[in-house]
Amino acid sequence: MKGRLALLWLIVGVPLAWGVFKTLQNAMKLFQ
Amino acid sequence: MSIGFFDRRSTVAAPNFNRFCVPPAAIAVHLAIGQVYAFSTFNIPLTRLIGLNEAAPGDWNQKQVVWIFSIAIAVLGSSAALFGRWVERVGPRLSMFVAALCFAGGFMVAAIGIRLHALWLLYAGYGVLGGCGLGIGYISPVSTLIKWFPDRPGMATGMAIMGFGGGALIAAPLSVMLMAHFKSVTSNGVLQAFVTMGAIYFLYMMIGVFAVRVPPPEWKPAGWVDSAKPKSLVTTAHVAVKLAWRTPQFWLLWGVLCMNVTAGIGVLGVASPMIQEIFTGRVTAASAAGFVGLISLFNMGGRFFWASISDYIGRRATYMVFFLLGILLYSTVPSIGYGGHIGMFVAAFCIILSMYGGGFATIPAYLRDVFGTMEVGAIHGRLLTAWSVAGVLGPVLISNLRDYQIEHGQPKAQAYSVTMYVMCGMLLIGFLCNLAMRPVDAKYHHRSP
Repeated sequence: MKGRLALLWLIVGVPLAWGVFKTLQNAMKLFQ
Repeated sequence: MSIGFFDRRSTVAAPNFNRFCVPPAAIAVHLAIGQVYAFSTFNIPLTRLIGLNEAAPGDWNQKQVVWIFSIAIAVLGSSAALFGRWVERVGPRLSMFVAALCFAGGFMVAAIGIRLHALWLLYAGYGVLGGCGLGIGYISPVSTLIKWFPDRPGMATGMAIMGFGGGALIAAPLSVMLMAHFKSVTSNGVLQAFVTMGAIYFLYMMIGVFAVRVPPPEWKPAGWVDSAKPKSLVTTAHVAVKLAWRTPQFWLLWGVLCMNVTAGIGVLGVASPMIQEIFTGRVTAASAAGFVGLISLFNMGGRFFWASISDYIGRRATYMVFFLLGILLYSTVPSIGYGGHIGMFVAAFCIILSMYGGGFATIPAYLRDVFGTMEVGAIHGRLLTAWSVAGVLGPVLISNLRDYQIEHGQPKAQAYSVTMYVMCGMLLIGFLCNLAMRPVDAKYHHRSP
C-alpha cells in the first residue's frame, strides 16, 4: 500500500514540479 | 450478479485502504482539465494555420479564436450544474471516465476542425464537448474527497482544486514544446499538438479512474470524533440539491463566489498589458510574462493554503479575510502605481490572486458545512454557474472601464484606477453576502423515508 501511495504522489508530483519550475524560470524575468 | 468496473459498488475501498491515495486520483483529473487556463498559447498559432509564420487571407482572426475558450468556460459551469446529480449517483469512477472521454474527445474533434479548417468544429469540439469534460471532471472528485476527509475537508478539496491551477503551469510550456516539435514547412504544429495532448490527457485522467475509491458507508477516520461543540454554520443535517438551490444560503454563496471570482479573473486577463501600461518604460513584455507566471503560481498555491487555513478558522472567516484584505489591496493599488513601487504592486497582486484561487478551493467545504455531504457535489456543480457569469463579467468590466477612461483623456498609466475601485465595490457586495449567511432552515433538511 505504501508503494502504491508513493507511486501515485510521484505521478502527480513530478509533472506539477516541472510546471512550477518552468513558471518560476519565466517569473525570474520580472526581476532581471 | 457481477459488479462492473464502473459501478459505484466496485469502488468501495477495502478496510486497509490508505485515504491519502484518493487526493492524487483527484489531482490527476484536475491537472489535466486545468489545461484550459493555458489555452491562450494556441490563440496565435490558430490564426496562422494557412500563413504559418503570419496570418494569411482565409486565416481565422483573434476575435473568432478566443471564443473557443469562452465557450469551454461557459459549458464548464452549465455542465457541472446539469450533470451534478448524475455524478453523485454514478460515483467518481464513471464520471471521471466520461470526463476523460469528453475532454480528450474535444481535442480530437478540434484537431479534425483544424485539418478541415472548420472553426465550428473547434467550438463544438474543444468548446462544447471539451467543456462538458471540464465541468464533469471538476466536480467528480469533490464529494468523494469530502467524505474521505471529514476532519480536513478544506485541505482535501484544496489539494484537488490546486491541481486545476497547476494544470495551466504544465500545459503552457507543454503546448509550446509540442508545437515546436511538430513544426514543419507545411504545418505550424498545432494540429499534431492537439492530437498528442488529447491522448496524453486521456491516459493521465485514466490514472484517476483506476485509483479513485469511495469510503464504506458511515466510515470515519480512525480515532476521529466529530466536535461535540456545535459551530454556528456547520450542520449535521443534509439538504438535497433540488431544495438547496431554493434556499437563500445557496444564492448568498453564489454571490460570494461570483464576486470573488470576478475581482480576480478580470486582473488575470489583463495582467500583462496592465503592468506594462502602469509602469511604462520600466516593465518589458518579457518581464510582464514573468509577472503573469508569478501570479499564476500564487493562484495555485492559494488554493491549497487558504482552503487548509479554512479548516482551522472556519469558512466564513476565510471569506471575510478575502473580501476585507481584497478591498484594502485593491484600494491601495492605484497609489502604489502612482508611486512607482513595482515590488509592492507585484506583492499586492500575488496576494489578490492567492485569494482568487482560495475562493474556488474553499467553496466546496463551505457548501459541505451549510448543506451537509449528501449531495454536496451536485450543489457545487450548480454553484459553478457563478464562475461562468464571472468569467464573462470580470474581463468585460475591466477592459471596458479601461477603454472608457482612455477615451475620456486619462493617461494609460492611470486608466486602471477606477477599475480597482469598482472591484472594491464588488468585493463589498461579496462581503455583505457572506455576512448574511445563516444556517439553513430545518424545513429544507432531508428526512430518510
